[in-house]
Amino acid sequence: MGDYIMKRLCILLACAFFLTVAVNAAESKTEILYWTHEDPNRTEIENRYIEEFEKANPEVTIKRVTSPSKKMAERVLTAFAANQGPDMFNLQIEDEFAYIVNSRLAPIDYKAAGYPSVKAIYDAYLPKVLDPVTYERKLYGLPLELTNWCLYINDRVFKDAGLNPDKDYPKTWEEMVAVSEKIAIRDGEIIKRRGFDFRYPYYLVSMIPMVEQLGGKLISDDGKTAIINDKAWIQFLEFMQAWGPNGKNLGSPTYTNARKLFNKDNNDMGMCLSGLYQAGRIRKDNPEFYNSGEWRVVPFPKFANAVKNSASAYYGHYFVVNAQKPKKNQEMTWKFIGYMLSHAEAYLSKVGLIQPTVKLMGSQTFKDMPYSSVFKGDMERGLIVYYAGNSAKIQQHIREAVESVMLAGSSPEKALKNLRRKAQETLDEK
Amino acid sequence: MGRRPIPVFFFKGVLPVTGRIFSPGIEHKKARWGWVFILPSLVFFALFNFYPIFNALYTSLFRKKLLSLKPPKFIGFDNYIYLFNSPDFWNSIRATVVFTIGTFIPMLIFSLILANFIISRKRFQKFFQMAYYSPAVLSSVVVAAIWLLIFDPRGLSNQLINFILNTPGIDHKWLANSAMVQISTILVYFWKYVGYFTIIFLVGLASIPKSIHEAAKIDGVNAWSGFWYVTFPLLKPTTILVSIMSMLQCLKTFSTQYLFTQGGAPTEPINVITLNLYHTAIRDHRIGLASAMSIILFCIMLFFTWLQFKGSRSDEVSY
Repeated sequence: MGDYIMKRLCILLACAFFLTVAVNAAESKTEILYWTHEDPNRTEIENRYIEEFEKANPEVTIKRVTSPSKKMAERVLTAFAANQGPDMFNLQIEDEFAYIVNSRLAPIDYKAAGYPSVKAIYDAYLPKVLDPVTYERKLYGLPLELTNWCLYINDRVFKDAGLNPDKDYPKTWEEMVAVSEKIAIRDGEIIKRRGFDFRYPYYLVSMIPMVEQLGGKLISDDGKTAIINDKAWIQFLEFMQAWGPNGKNLGSPTYTNARKLFNKDNNDMGMCLSGLYQAGRIRKDNPEFYNSGEWRVVPFPKFANAVKNSASAYYGHYFVVNAQKPKKNQEMTWKFIGYMLSHAEAYLSKVGLIQPTVKLMGSQTFKDMPYSSVFKGDMERGLIVYYAGNSAKIQQHIREAVESVMLAGSSPEKALKNLRRKAQETLDEK
Repeated sequence: MGRRPIPVFFFKGVLPVTGRIFSPGIEHKKARWGWVFILPSLVFFALFNFYPIFNALYTSLFRKKLLSLKPPKFIGFDNYIYLFNSPDFWNSIRATVVFTIGTFIPMLIFSLILANFIISRKRFQKFFQMAYYSPAVLSSVVVAAIWLLIFDPRGLSNQLINFILNTPGIDHKWLANSAMVQISTILVYFWKYVGYFTIIFLVGLASIPKSIHEAAKIDGVNAWSGFWYVTFPLLKPTTILVSIMSMLQCLKTFSTQYLFTQGGAPTEPINVITLNLYHTAIRDHRIGLASAMSIILFCIMLFFTWLQFKGSRSDEVSY
């Protein structure tokens, strides 16, 4: 009887031992949670990199979760508010910067990312592109993409309107109005074909440079005063007022967004603003149009009386790492980021994303990309988008000002007065 | 010193009628089981309703940023003072009031009319119930997405109105004009929820005994007088329920306004309290201020609910 009990006890203990070993083995595997925005072209190559990385590092599993780009900022924020953020994520720098100043992100582990020193990282990238993720002399992120917008033109629409796309494409905003008037087809007040329309939710990227062209600024150099040079702002708001349904009726935020229509080539959109990645999306959405050679990219226009040659602002999506995760996770995450970013040429050729390394920008692959020189030229005359802890709120104030003149019938002077009050209040917030 | 008698109120609810001490009867035992059965829902309710309310009240007294790891700073009623001095918050109050009045009153009237229409049908009652109720089962996001297409300048709404009014080419600016965008949100909400409240009225109408209507008919009451003097007073509890529910629903409106602004509609005219609250918390990260907004909204809802209950106590009718 005693033997029987002993045997049972031994079996039980052995089982418990193996179970513990198995659990520990499972626990020793590091899981990295990676949140990013939807982009089918990128998903394809990144899934491959994940597979390769997991093969080379069997102790790591990577879980890639995508969300619509409009939802990303909200999802990451709510996760971090509950201290449940992912190991790594990417957002536009305007939304990401608040995480850096609130100590939510881990400084770069340069060794894990594959660099001999932090200085080597700065040397590997174009000057200033790492400034937005440098805070108190520490580097907090590496760019997944750096994007600026140029003007995409549909040659077929131009020809249909009796225009020659080789010489009639708009170089100034005044010409943009004239060309759009010629292209527009209306049924009474309803626009059936638009010449061009703005990308309305992104006021900091494309509209602040328009103000800067006229000599205005969003924030003073000392960072204390909002809305500089009323004359420039008024001219910009007058332009937007004339563009809208209560003016020349050339476009409005309530119409379907121009970039989506452009790819379809349905003779309803002549021009739109977008990044280099748009070419890849045209190729995917409408191969016939892509291969037709009936589209082109030209520089961001400027006002005829511009005092500054500003192009659209460029913005970055930076890979960052959650500081609240264990050190082991952080190290592996930087290693994974380093691995993904070592394929800069594939990101460019397959997805159309520019990872602004010195090597890539000088490569033949970059030079061979259609219209890459136009984007490069505009990037050189553009500035980084306004980024701060309050940039999303400032953008909302600009949006309200533009909407009030375009849609609500407000005068530019009144809209500017309200914009100044709100922007200054936001700037003064502690 | 003699023993003092135990006062009767001490055992109130414990003592059975006989007055025997510590001898709970069957009723009491049943009540105890009743408590056991409702305990999970009470815990659930306390956890997911009371806790957030008290937590929001507590948070509203602090300057707290959503992403900050620093301890929040106690500022007393500063968040409330800030809100009451903020033109943007008053604009949100205005937008909420306009939307609530513009939606809940027509919804109350039309759902009552529709319920009477359906109950008076001899055939197709089920069909009408389903037809009116079906928008209520759609998610608000889907509804707003559908209506965004309808309100597009080239969409159905302009085509239909221009066909009816014979005004080709007119853009009624459903989403672009300050007044029209408010009407558009009201229209969407009305369309979505009128069927839901119609069903509640239908249940109320069905619970009125037929004998009362028959008696009124025998007394020579016509259809209108029958509705006004018999049906409507007897339907008062349902009317109060519907009015409170629809009003609270309207005060809490969010998704339609949110999706419309995402679709390019101007924010200011439809920046209802919940939308402002969302932006304050999620975009501006000011969770203390957003909590203060939510407490103010809660107080507004509580006040109007109390007002409706108070107003409904007089002239109670029973059968």
